[in-house]
Order: sequence, then C-alpha cells, then structure tokens
Amino acid sequence: MSLDVPLQIHRQKEGVAPHRDLFRVSVADSATVLDAIEAAWAWHDGTIQFRHACHHASCGSCAVRVNGIERLPCVTAITDVWDGASDVVVEPLRNFPVAADLVVDVSTLFDRLEASEMSPLRPVEHALPVEIGERPRTDDGTMVAPAGIERFMRFESCIECGICISACPTAALGGKFYGPAGLAAVQRARAEATAATEVDAILGSVDGEHGVWRCHSAWECTERCPQGLDPAGAIMSLRRELTARRLRRLFRR
Amino acid sequence: MSARLAYPGGAPHVVVIGAGSTGAATAHDLALRGVQVTVVERGEVASGTTGRNHCLLHSGGRYCVKDEEAGIECIDENMILRRIMPDVLELNDGLFVAISDDDLAFKESFLEACEACHIPALDLSKERALELEPGLNPEVLGAVQVPDGVFEPFRFCLSFLASAQSNGAAVRTFTEVVDFEGDPGTVAGVRVRDRSSGRIETIGADIVVNAAGPWAERIAALAGIQVPVAPTPGVMVSVGRRLNNMVVNRLNKPADGDIVVPQRVSSIIGTTSWSVDDPDYIPIPQDHVEKMIKCGRELIPAIGEAPIRGVMAVARPLISKGGGDAREVSRTFECFDHASEGVEGFVTISGGKTTTARAMAEKVTDMVCEKLSVEAECRTRDVPLKSYRTFYTRGAA
Repeated sequence: MSLDVPLQIHRQKEGVAPHRDLFRVSVADSATVLDAIEAAWAWHDGTIQFRHACHHASCGSCAVRVNGIERLPCVTAITDVWDGASDVVVEPLRNFPVAADLVVDVSTLFDRLEASEMSPLRPVEHALPVEIGERPRTDDGTMVAPAGIERFMRFESCIECGICISACPTAALGGKFYGPAGLAAVQRARAEATAATEVDAILGSVDGEHGVWRCHSAWECTERCPQGLDPAGAIMSLRRELTARRLRRLFRR
Repeated sequence: MSARLAYPGGAPHVVVIGAGSTGAATAHDLALRGVQVTVVERGEVASGTTGRNHCLLHSGGRYCVKDEEAGIECIDENMILRRIMPDVLELNDGLFVAISDDDLAFKESFLEACEACHIPALDLSKERALELEPGLNPEVLGAVQVPDGVFEPFRFCLSFLASAQSNGAAVRTFTEVVDFEGDPGTVAGVRVRDRSSGRIETIGADIVVNAAGPWAERIAALAGIQVPVAPTPGVMVSVGRRLNNMVVNRLNKPADGDIVVPQRVSSIIGTTSWSVDDPDYIPIPQDHVEKMIKCGRELIPAIGEAPIRGVMAVARPLISKGGGDAREVSRTFECFDHASEGVEGFVTISGGKTTTARAMAEKVTDMVCEKLSVEAECRTRDVPLKSYRTFYTRGAA
C-alpha cells in the first residue's frame, strides 16, 4: 500500500532565509523517513541537501530531528512518526552549524572523537546474540573465543551520528563543551588503558571546565542514542573516578 | 597528449566524478602520485551504491567457482586492505556452510576453486562449525572457513578521501556535474552546480575520471559517449540483533538470500538481483524482504525471531555484456579510455566492487598517468591510510 505523506523539510541555503518547504511524497507504507526524504529529492526538488550512506544505522550520517526529536531516519518507519494527518517535520540536528538544508557541519564532533583516541574497533566483549544497547557483561556472558581464534573483533557500537550532542541541553548553551559523544569516547579509551601515566593523561583531558563537570546530568543523550548506548553513564563514571582520586589526594596530605 | 594544462606550471589536474569507493580510492592514488585532484560528488560521501552495500570484505569465496579472475582479485585486495586500513575492518573470517546434500556436494569444487585462486580455506566438521558459530542451523552438514571480513562502507571511503586530502586533494560534496567543458572531441573540465548556492561554475581539468558507478552511463552521455553499465539492484535486510561473529555464506553457487554479514549490533541478510533503468530511487519489493528472512533463517534460525531494523536496496554498476542473468555477469571491472571513441581527456572506470576499489583505482590511475606523462609508481598497496575521522577534523579539539 502507498501513503501520501506531507513532509515539511527545513531549507537553508546561501542567501535564502531559513524556512520549511512542504512536499507531498508518495511512499510505500513500509517506507522509512529517509525513503520519504529521498523521494522528495528524487521526484520533487533535486536541490534538497541531506546526508545518507548506509541506510541501516551503521554510518551515522543521516541523523536529523523528526517532529522535534533526534532520530536516524534510515531506521525510523514513516508510520511511527506520522499520525495520518499532520505534517511530518524534518529539521537538521541542533548544536552544530547548518551547512545547508538538513546537512550540518560535524567537524567539532570528529575533532573531539579523534582527540579521544577511542579505537573504532575492539575485541568482542560479550557472547552472542547481542541486542542493541546491551552493556558489556563482566560475568559468565563474557565472550570466550573458540579454540584457534585469538579473539573476535567488533566495531565500536557508537556510530558517531551526533544525535547525543543535538539532544544535549548543555551543548545548546554553546561554548566549548566536549559533549556526550566526545566524553563517552574518552571513557571507552579510559576503560582500555592500563599504564598509570596513560590513565592520568586520559582523565586529565576531561577534568576541566569544558569536560565532565560541565554536564548538567539531563540524560537526554542516553535517552536519544539510537544505538542504546549510555553516554551520560560514561560521563558519571569519569566523574566518579576523578572524585575518588581527589579524595585520595586529600587524605594523603 | 596536447598541452591543455589547466594549471600551467603546476602538476596536472584531474577531476574525479563520484565519492563512492572507486572515486575515493582513485583520488588517493592520484594524489599519492603527485597529481592535483578535485573530487566532485553530487551528494554526501558514499551516498550512492557504496554506502548501501553489504559490508562484505570478500575473500573471493563467493566468486571463485564461477569466476576465477574475480576470486583472485578479491583475495589479493583483501590482503592489501588488511595492511592499509586495519582500523575499519572487522576481521573474523567467514564460513561457507552446507545445509543440504546439494550444498555438501558443492564442497569439493569449492575447495578446488579456492586453491586455484590461492584463497586460504579450511574444511571444517559440523561440530567445529557449530563451535565457531553457535547460532548456525543445527542441521549444518559441514563448513569451509575462509578469510572473509566486514568493513563499514562510509568509513572505507572516508579513509581514502582523508588520505587524499592530506596529499592536497580537494573533495567537494553536494557538487553535481551538469555538463562537460571543452571543444567538440575534447573534455577540458566539468560544469558543476553547487547545491548550497545553486551557482554553476567550471572546474578545468587535464583529465576527467568518471567514477559514478551506476550513474556512469548518465555522466558519459553528457559527453556523447555510451558506456555499458547495467544498474542492477539488490535488497538487503538488517535485523536489530547481532547473531553471528563471522560472515556466514551458503556453500553453493551464488543465489538470493545466501549470505548473512554481521556488523556492530546487527546482522545483514542479502541479497537479490534485478534490473532497473533509473538508479536514483529504487522502491523495495516487499517479496524480496520476505525472501531474505526465509532464506536467512535457513542459515541462522534466530533471524526468524529478530526484529527487522533496516531495509535497503541500491544498484550495482555491473558491466553489461548484453542480455543474460545478472548473476552470470562478471563482477570484475573495466576501464574505458574514451579517446578510442573520439573524445580526449575523459575516462570511465566501472564494474567491480568495494573490496576491489583500490585495484580499480590503480588501473585507472595508471591509465591517467600514462596519458598525462606522469611517471610515478602506484604506492597504494603499502601506504597506510589516515584515520577516517580526519576527513572531517579541523584540529580544533
């Protein structure tokens, strides 16, 4: 069955005031929001700019706000966001400069991720099957590779989509806040570090006014993460470790 | 060649059309050889065929029985990519599993073909197969282990482009080619529309490389050239649960729904094959989705209970040999110098697959360098790529 969906898309180009254009797009009832955006581009207006690549929640490039909520449109069914009457509103992520239409400049996010030195790849942490959002297990669920396999490797679950930064009320205040993805990446790097000097350097990198102490604990990042990850929990974990270190230093005096 | 240098006194300048895997790898190869490069891409990096691919780093196992050339290309490139982009590859090997007696009967010719293509292959018992991959159909009769792997296509392209940028290449996304520049019989640049400003501008070039995948035919037509590309889509279904560590293939000749590629927290079942005229928007046939689930659960039964997370389809840029079944068309690539059709300064590279993108780039860059009298050896086999994140970084962190 096919649906005629009224789709409002944020438009922003050089020399044109930001506004929204309304498209009536005809898509299958099984379509995703990304299919609908692509249909608007293919059949109505080839100047619409949007980012997309994998269409299965792995590349992280297509993140936008749909009816005000951050989502990956590639894995959001149109029927989940359309009530059959109102317009579906698609806008770019917040807290990034808009380059054009739905495209934001993600360089600040990638600067932070690169600085964190979080590996994009790590040894597998849990036995299969793995659910979206499942936290690494430390008990019997720990992955033990079969004999003859040194270890299975796994891509990091964070897809670097920027949704957590868009959802973050602290990031909305501007400034140089490292943001949830950047801080969570530091926590991942911390979890892998063993040498004391390395741990000191990693913790020191986020122990400042733009680091973990700037977070207002709104937990919107964890709420919105399409991969079910917990950046807020990662920030709290870094804070706990930094606090414990301060206390130890006080008592040693 | 004629003296048409767009950058007099400097290195020659080449425009690459398309920022999929082929264009990205070609930009990297050209830049490493000292050529000035501008990549123009009408959308985001990997927003066409490459982005929506199956993420399979081929060992060559899928092709070796029917197409020895493609099998050898795959295993050679697989080993090179392990050296140059280790950060963006999940290297957990793959299994070709026999479920039926017919599958098992295929094993002998499969092992022979692997040997002929020098693909390392390990004949496994049923017990060993289930030990490696406990989610397999318990009816499995046997399996062969090969060095398949998994990449993430977007980051695959970003790695090549970040490396090209570090060697001076310019990458212009959302920049669409609308025409060619030059006298009749000559391509001397491209006319592009910047999708942000709407402005049309001319980018001069000594040579233009058409790496537009299934859109290569449309691009070539702007220069009055026909290239035999057959846009051939396939459907893939991603389930929201990771069910296998290794790539799982059906041990038989390639067919619909015979492979499950794991990635991050998903498993991706593929694929089908049909033909389209317009690669821009491909509606997904719902019966193909149902077929993927049905075939996929023959390999990994838990697929039947897993939630569907994403469904995608995009056109492969197969080289058309005229008629026949798309599965029978060779998956190797071809490079066309359009001087043979009377148009100088214009080449097309097409066919192939993401696993062989570096080899495709080497071949077209050899051709371009010969035409430009640039004497530089290809070094992309050995030079490690930059972190994909540096494609976007400004160094402000």
